Amino acid sequence: MNNSFGLTHIVQFFLFVALQVLLMGNLALYSTGFCFIYVAFLLYLPLNFSRIWLLILGFLIGFTVDVFYDTMGIHAAASVLLAFLRPHVLNLLTPRDGYDNSDTVNIHVMGSGWFLSYAFTLILFHHLAVFFLETLTLQTLWYTLAKTVLSTLFTGIVVVIIQLLFFSPKRERIDYR
Amino acid sequence: MRNLFAFIYRFRAFLVFLLLEALCVFLIVRYNTYQGAAFFNSANRYVGQVLEFQSGITDYFRLTNINQSLASENAALRQELMQYRQAALIDSAAELDTTYVPASDTTAAPPYNLMAGHVINNSVRRLNNYLTIARGTADGVQPGMGVISPEGVVGRVKTVSEHYSTVTSLLHSQMLVSAKIKKDNTFGTIKWQGGDYRTAMLEYIPLHVKPEKGDTIVTSGFNTVFPEGITVGTISSVEQEPDKSFYTIAVKLSVDFAQLSYVYVVENTRKEERDTLELDAGILPDEQ
Repeated sequence: MNNSFGLTHIVQFFLFVALQVLLMGNLALYSTGFCFIYVAFLLYLPLNFSRIWLLILGFLIGFTVDVFYDTMGIHAAASVLLAFLRPHVLNLLTPRDGYDNSDTVNIHVMGSGWFLSYAFTLILFHHLAVFFLETLTLQTLWYTLAKTVLSTLFTGIVVVIIQLLFFSPKRERIDYR
Repeated sequence: MRNLFAFIYRFRAFLVFLLLEALCVFLIVRYNTYQGAAFFNSANRYVGQVLEFQSGITDYFRLTNINQSLASENAALRQELMQYRQAALIDSAAELDTTYVPASDTTAAPPYNLMAGHVINNSVRRLNNYLTIARGTADGVQPGMGVISPEGVVGRVKTVSEHYSTVTSLLHSQMLVSAKIKKDNTFGTIKWQGGDYRTAMLEYIPLHVKPEKGDTIVTSGFNTVFPEGITVGTISSVEQEPDKSFYTIAVKLSVDFAQLSYVYVVENTRKEERDTLELDAGILPDEQ
């Protein structure tokens, strides 16, 4: 597998949207913890993925979720924000000797410290955007912040669980032939 | 000119970001208005089909509850029907109906029609909650119609496609329902504040009336959306705050929104006539 956008990602797109709409849509912990697992699609894209396409894909997946959630534009705006911030966060988290060609967003390859700070930072920004765009006021500031923090934890943990379950610990082999 | 293109190329990611965010803001402003009509929502045909498929599966797990609520509603309706039958048996004047009442008398026609609809999508835990029901323009549903369940008020139709419609739930931050306290007809406004989906607030009840815990709240019928006397809930707490000229009243909603399966869309056959009259008279509809 290389770093281009392939069939795997298209399948992932539909899988994550289905997971979000059919399963997570009905799930809320204590009325404050929501799981927006579809952001995992954007998080798992290859490291040197084109910024423009990342933004467009962010808009697409956010928009798709919006259509099902009847929250026109809110998830799209938050996902585009996440897509915009992703390259910057990746730059900040660059390992000492830069990214290898074989590096992927994989908790086994990049280490748990790198992965957790990468995933939780981006999820936090995304959820802040979602919940504040939803209320558009500061009247319920603490409630909104509580929702954001709890939901970030919830989504983040699910993102990590998916990594541990479905991503192989082996570094992907590069064929030099 | 070349410099300009170079500039644009250099900041292309940021510019695309700004463009997409502007589009999102436009969408939010354009389509998230309370009564805005929209194409891209869960009333869309394809989205509706997915949601119907989902609810087809999840409904199996709730069959017992759905059956129970339908059976108890049947029982209540049958009881009511029996009362009418008995009243009709006693009423000997019924046979003289056409003698005294002209056959074309339209006052005898019921002004409200009910259409049963299956809830295929529902939320209770967001700040602005919506339902999707499997009834659309093909069945006569129009935007603005009221939606009730056997237990009480549910919401108001927002957008309609051919076979599906989205309903603004009572659990929506901008949904207002004109209601009154049943025992003394004092009217106020029901508004949901977010948080607990079983509790809403009754606002604008002046201090000279004496609402008590347990009083029933029903719709006022001051508008064309809901018929008069549909249950909203019962008062669960009454507080009088020192700096306010109205009571702070919490109402326990009679409808359990998390358990909705079948609802009724209310069609007011004289809505248009009444709305036009009120509009012509200069009365603006300030709430639902």
